[in-house]
Amino acid sequence: MLEVSQLQASYGPLQVIWGVSLHVEQGEFVALIGPNGAGKTTTLRAIMGLVKPLSGTIAFNGQTLNGLKANQITRKGISFVTEDLDLFDGMTVHDNLILGAFSLHDRAQVEGTLESVYDLFPILAERHRQLAGTLSGGERKMLAIGRGLMLSPSLILVDEPSLGLAPKLVLAVFEALKQLHERGSTILLVEQNVYTTLHMTNRAYVLENGQVVMEGPSSDLLRNEHLQRTYISMGAAGEGGFPAPADGGGPAL
Amino acid sequence: MNLTVLWNLLVTGILRGGLYALMAGGLALLFGVMNICNFAHGELFVVGAYVAYFAYVTFGLPPLLAILIAAGASFLVGALLEKSLILPLRRRSKGEWIMNTFLLTSGLSVVMQNTAQRVWGVRYRGITQYWAGTIRITPTMSVAVDRAVAFLIAVVGITGFWLFLRRTNVGRAIRAVSQNETGAMLVGIDLDNIQTLTFALGSMLAGLGGASMLSLIPAYPFAGGKPNITSWFVVTVVGLGNVSGSIVGGFIVGLVESFAFFYLGSGWQDVFSLGVIILILLVKPSGLFGSEVKGVLER
Repeated sequence: MLEVSQLQASYGPLQVIWGVSLHVEQGEFVALIGPNGAGKTTTLRAIMGLVKPLSGTIAFNGQTLNGLKANQITRKGISFVTEDLDLFDGMTVHDNLILGAFSLHDRAQVEGTLESVYDLFPILAERHRQLAGTLSGGERKMLAIGRGLMLSPSLILVDEPSLGLAPKLVLAVFEALKQLHERGSTILLVEQNVYTTLHMTNRAYVLENGQVVMEGPSSDLLRNEHLQRTYISMGAAGEGGFPAPADGGGPAL
Repeated sequence: MNLTVLWNLLVTGILRGGLYALMAGGLALLFGVMNICNFAHGELFVVGAYVAYFAYVTFGLPPLLAILIAAGASFLVGALLEKSLILPLRRRSKGEWIMNTFLLTSGLSVVMQNTAQRVWGVRYRGITQYWAGTIRITPTMSVAVDRAVAFLIAVVGITGFWLFLRRTNVGRAIRAVSQNETGAMLVGIDLDNIQTLTFALGSMLAGLGGASMLSLIPAYPFAGGKPNITSWFVVTVVGLGNVSGSIVGGFIVGLVESFAFFYLGSGWQDVFSLGVIILILLVKPSGLFGSEVKGVLER
């Protein structure tokens, strides 16, 4: 479905992606994990056309995405839930969701999707008239994911949903992603929360210094010694296996 | 003060207020959505005035039709200017965007004024009225039909614009771009199209103002100066980029000017308005309705 090969990209003047190749197949839940600054976010932004790749190709369902603008890539059926969510803070929850379906024109379908989003996140239904800017951190994540779902996307890219959230809320957001996957969504998830992520996903790529250093079924990676040493041992020691986000400095809204 | 004087001042103030609200609403939209400091806004007022004059006087079209054509023409001129000047600037501009738009539109204003002077000369092209007659309210209090209709047009223009931003999908998209460009792109909104549309809409509001006020302000090359500066007064007072505030602000400035004109004399109304602005900005530098929330309607 999504095929990235030999991608090179830079963040500002600094090249951070050095030949990344990855693929996501229909119905899969794939993780892209790795330390801060490994190039995970830049990879997603390059796929969405928000960062122009230096070289390499990105293909979606056989069509190349290189050179398309983000809004055109969205219209191909890829939703991107960014790290900073990029919500419309001055608009209501309802309006944010409706805008998520901006490129769709079938009203009945949009209404149906709206129902299912409210079904997945009942809190959004409760707060549908509230301004997005007044929601709490966890609600904002849910709204961002919900807005992404309004497109009825064939692929969802989610960037660090645990960032800045309290452990309990992280659990709720991950639970929602798991449910989405069970309902048939294809997800590419970027996370630093390695332990939990590997427990949820089918496959994973480990990105270090802009290169894929490891890939395979998540269950295999969970037992991998290098990963155990670098990421997991710290997390497993934590209560309930949920290490607090590395830099829980998100805005308290 | 006697009632008739008060009445006349109120009518004049509110009528001017309608014009300023139209102009400032468009200006605020351009700043809120595109971060453009448009100093050629007055020239679009002039485009509206000239087109309405030629449509009404030269071609003898009915007044309402002439005004509509003028609004449409300003919309087109705005779209053309955006595609040919602002868009290339956006592609090339590296930082200093706001300053660049200020320089570009200031230059554009000079070019448009001098082109108009070259083509049509400095002659005033005005009309005494679109519609004859007066509405009598009491023996001493009345209002000219022409002015009442001009005001009505302003109200309809503002209301339609407001509903468009609030109720339609495209209006929502414009507001989305003003609040978060990345978010807007990620829901599939084409920024280039929205920006062209926004500039065209802002221009249309200015043109509508110029066309409907033709009996008060005749069309001539430099007619845009005063409306331009006054709409800048308004958007500065209420807080840059705030459309709903600008509409309220337009009426405030209209009334202030009308009373200052009467009590302090001609020429002093600008001094007075500017004094008020300085005072407001001293107390509240972000403007009367200024806030941290970014967006053209939401404050």
